[in-house]
Amino acid sequence: MKQFLNKADEPTRRQFMTNAARAYLGVHLFPMLGPSIASAAAEGASKGAKAKHVIYLYMAGGMSHLDTFDPKPANKENMGPVKTIQSVADVELSEYLPNTAKVTDKMCIINSLTSTQGAHEQGNYMMHTSYSPRGTITHPALGSWVMKLGGKLHPELPGFVTINSGAKAGNGGFFGAKYSAAPIGRPTDGLQDSTKPNVVTDESFDRRLALADKLNTQFHSRYQNTDVKAYEELYKDAISLMNSEDLKAFDLGQEDSATRKLYGDGQFAQGCLLARRLVEHKVRFVEVQLGGWDTHVDNFTAVAARCKEFDQAYAALLTDLEKRGLLKDTLVVVATEFGRSPEIKSNHKDGRDHHPSAFSCVLAGGGVNGGQKYGETDKGGNKVVRDKVTVPDFNATIAYALGLPHDLVLMSPSKRPFQIADKGTPVTSIFG
Amino acid sequence: MKAKNLLFTIAAGLLPFSGHAAEQPRPGDDIEVIKKAALGIDTLIASFYRKKNLPVPAVTDDATFIRRAFLVGTGRIPTAEEALSFLEIEDDTKRAALVQYLVNSPGYSSHMSNWAFDLLRLRDTKSGGYNFQAYRHWVRTAMQDNVPWDEFVEQLLSSSGNGWDPETASVGYYTIDRGMPLDNLANSMRIFLGTYMECAQCHDDPFGDTERMDFYSLAAFTEGQSELNAGAFRKIYGEARENRVEDPLAFRVANFINDEVYGLSLSGGGDGRIKLPSDYQYRDGSPGEMVGGRTPFGKSVRTSDRDNDGQGREKLAEWVITKTGPQFPGVIANRMWERIMGKGIYEPVDQYIDSDKTVYPELTRYITQVMVDLDYDLRAFQHVLLLTKTFQFATNPNPSTLVGGDDFHGRKIERLTSEQLWDSLITLSDGNPDLKPIRKPDMRVNLAGTILANTDIVTFTDEFLSMKTEKEVRARFNELMDMVGGGKKGKNNRGSDDDMMMGGSTGNSYGKDAPVRASELPSPAPQDHFLYTFGASGREVVGDASLEPNVGQVLTMMNGFVQRKLVNNNGAHLYKSLQGADTDEERIRRVYVAILNRPPNKEELDWMLEELDAQGEDGFRNIVSALVMSSEFLFLQ
Repeated sequence: MKQFLNKADEPTRRQFMTNAARAYLGVHLFPMLGPSIASAAAEGASKGAKAKHVIYLYMAGGMSHLDTFDPKPANKENMGPVKTIQSVADVELSEYLPNTAKVTDKMCIINSLTSTQGAHEQGNYMMHTSYSPRGTITHPALGSWVMKLGGKLHPELPGFVTINSGAKAGNGGFFGAKYSAAPIGRPTDGLQDSTKPNVVTDESFDRRLALADKLNTQFHSRYQNTDVKAYEELYKDAISLMNSEDLKAFDLGQEDSATRKLYGDGQFAQGCLLARRLVEHKVRFVEVQLGGWDTHVDNFTAVAARCKEFDQAYAALLTDLEKRGLLKDTLVVVATEFGRSPEIKSNHKDGRDHHPSAFSCVLAGGGVNGGQKYGETDKGGNKVVRDKVTVPDFNATIAYALGLPHDLVLMSPSKRPFQIADKGTPVTSIFG
Repeated sequence: MKAKNLLFTIAAGLLPFSGHAAEQPRPGDDIEVIKKAALGIDTLIASFYRKKNLPVPAVTDDATFIRRAFLVGTGRIPTAEEALSFLEIEDDTKRAALVQYLVNSPGYSSHMSNWAFDLLRLRDTKSGGYNFQAYRHWVRTAMQDNVPWDEFVEQLLSSSGNGWDPETASVGYYTIDRGMPLDNLANSMRIFLGTYMECAQCHDDPFGDTERMDFYSLAAFTEGQSELNAGAFRKIYGEARENRVEDPLAFRVANFINDEVYGLSLSGGGDGRIKLPSDYQYRDGSPGEMVGGRTPFGKSVRTSDRDNDGQGREKLAEWVITKTGPQFPGVIANRMWERIMGKGIYEPVDQYIDSDKTVYPELTRYITQVMVDLDYDLRAFQHVLLLTKTFQFATNPNPSTLVGGDDFHGRKIERLTSEQLWDSLITLSDGNPDLKPIRKPDMRVNLAGTILANTDIVTFTDEFLSMKTEKEVRARFNELMDMVGGGKKGKNNRGSDDDMMMGGSTGNSYGKDAPVRASELPSPAPQDHFLYTFGASGREVVGDASLEPNVGQVLTMMNGFVQRKLVNNNGAHLYKSLQGADTDEERIRRVYVAILNRPPNKEELDWMLEELDAQGEDGFRNIVSALVMSSEFLFLQ
């Protein structure tokens, strides 16, 4: 077994997955392509494994848990001016989330996240990869792992797309460029440059590629290099993408104005809508980022503004997915790198600092039971007091929802062992 | 013509005004010093090969050399003219002459500025409207004037004063992180000393030996980063905020004063003491306890917990630069080695290791000493590296055989950075970008849409920052409200065109699509920009730039920016430079030299002639397109 783990190339992977699935999922054989593990697992023992897609909404900068999903109405000192509202399914939320309050019946709010990383870069890296950053290796992002373990669902569209995200959010790491995300800068622009310029004829276009190919073949014969090779493969991917019937998945112009309005105007809102379109067209993993949560200064003004961007779009996304029958197989994740200090810093215009020891994330759809809170923090929102969930546990739960083997070990090219969620254990009790 | 003469002729027209260098001679001004240091490095590398019994890599050819030297030294490919003038000279000294030309060209400081902006996470603005263009310009100018690294770091770390004043604009180093002084400090340790202390912000580092107390004792030095005399404005701002609906104009004016005047200023000099946080969990201190400053390693510097030191930041700067032994010069020497040679002697370059533990201790010690001997002159130091034979080694397509560092076995292949690609493409589409002026900040006072006459932003902000009482500030505030048309007197002081002349320099700025160096464009690049697609840093965290390929990049090359700006653009500089070429062969040759900086080989010439035969003028575009899309263009060899 060890021998074929060393190199995770395509045929080995197939063999290895078969074995892994046998051991882990209690199934014997399943086809490599298509829904692969997810569908195999659904027939197997796991009661998760209902999700095929993930929409991962990342609140960059560290979202204040007290002012959003873990309010402490009895603790005036820590809450400052923020009031609490009741929602459907009897779940308390901050007043900044009035629309979200109408869809809590679909949500499982996890209040007991805890991270060991209190700085942005490290915290963000940890959420995205389950590992602490190391100088000697780049760990693949969660979306890359999902592609690696679960495969693409659409032959031409990318399996992993990031919207409004930083340069490293979609990093394929040691899996290579094939597993990295296709980044979308502005969702309203769709996938930029995905059509041939009008002035170029089909013939010219083909001739250019043929000529470039000749030059590249010559270059590769001189320099065998994996990074160089990766670009050549990307050209092939890009061309099949350009020719795909489903390229329209990226075009928000195809949505009627009522739907666009339902989500709201901002780039994040339109990003959520684009994520829905992509999932509809069988894209596996879509990340949409909303930045600006680093509210050291003037926390309440800033959080209110961030929540305004988030709230309408998120509620619309869950409602819309459900209406289209997509919510049951789409796991919608709300994640962030850490929470914010319950203590309000009056010398920074009522700011809040980083707080990795307790924070909140949310799961919805994809087989998760709605209308629940999981875990609990103390009366001040400082520490987790019940059902602690580490970052690897959280990511293992996402893998579990997809029916992916979270404890499967893959070897990096440098022959070191890694798992999709490090050594995390999934929280299985939240699934129906 | 001799190489030197020719290149210096080109160089003469491009040499930047360099205020700093002109002041006093520096060791690196003497070319013999540079040559000697370069020889020292080559001697060490040669003995490395002897000891390991390895064959010494060949020296690369002229075409590869000029492309590599331009991209590494100035961040762009040479223009066709520059490439030809180099390739056609036969002179043994031409490589040395080229290197001298490059480090003295404006391109050098543009390229260095991208590096500095990434390192300092320098964005034009941050949420809330704070405007860092004066700080940005300070860094940009420091790179242009080649301010020595120790002086540069000293001015950042010990800064205080008005963020708009060119003399004190380095306060941006702290104000850009206002509200998060602990993160700022952790970053300082990382970028200047290669020490990670992030973990110790919250807990003892389980993997290292940094304790949370060490971190707070160090943070004591930079504690107390307030705004200058902001107390005198607080109440006025509070009122304006409360009445924002009734009087939106007053709120806008107040916001401007809050963010752009007070918000960009830095008072005091560092308290030298700090309160332990409310969740302090170890036995060596209690929450809320005041602790004095204590440096974690090197020659110890301490400040008292009993009173406000007032010079904490200066003391920190002095410690970083002069009391950490080889660490301060060693970190920057290795960073520069990585910049020029492609791989650091150790990596990551922001995790310092003792020279004894590096793969080649003698070399690590040697370059550290060169950095010190050159008085931290980064231009001279890079000049040394560019002059070595080691820099000229042929390309090695294999990754380094050493995990976490250079194996000194030839140049590694690496994709161009987003900035190198952009700067090269605009060189093709618009000609030498280094002839265009750099970006400069707008020094006028734009108060809620009204440009104030008879003042500039430095005078305007100085005035506010020196007022000690609320009464004074209120009087000035009311006066300003009159000027912008909010008060009773109406718009009686709106500047006429004549007055505008007195209102500070309008600066010089470029839109995001301007064909200018990446260093002059908005920072960070917006998300629909070429630079973003190719992995430019978002500049929120250190080292965020990426060379990772993605499908968007390929689409841009095939269908987007590259096609619009270059391939299908009749006005592109590249096409203009073909005028006067009589034959197809000559045109193909020129295009090759412009894009790949080498002539085509026989086989390629045949392919390209065939293309022209089949497609005529269209064929020519196809050739340009294919060359730009090729791996040879995309990768540094």
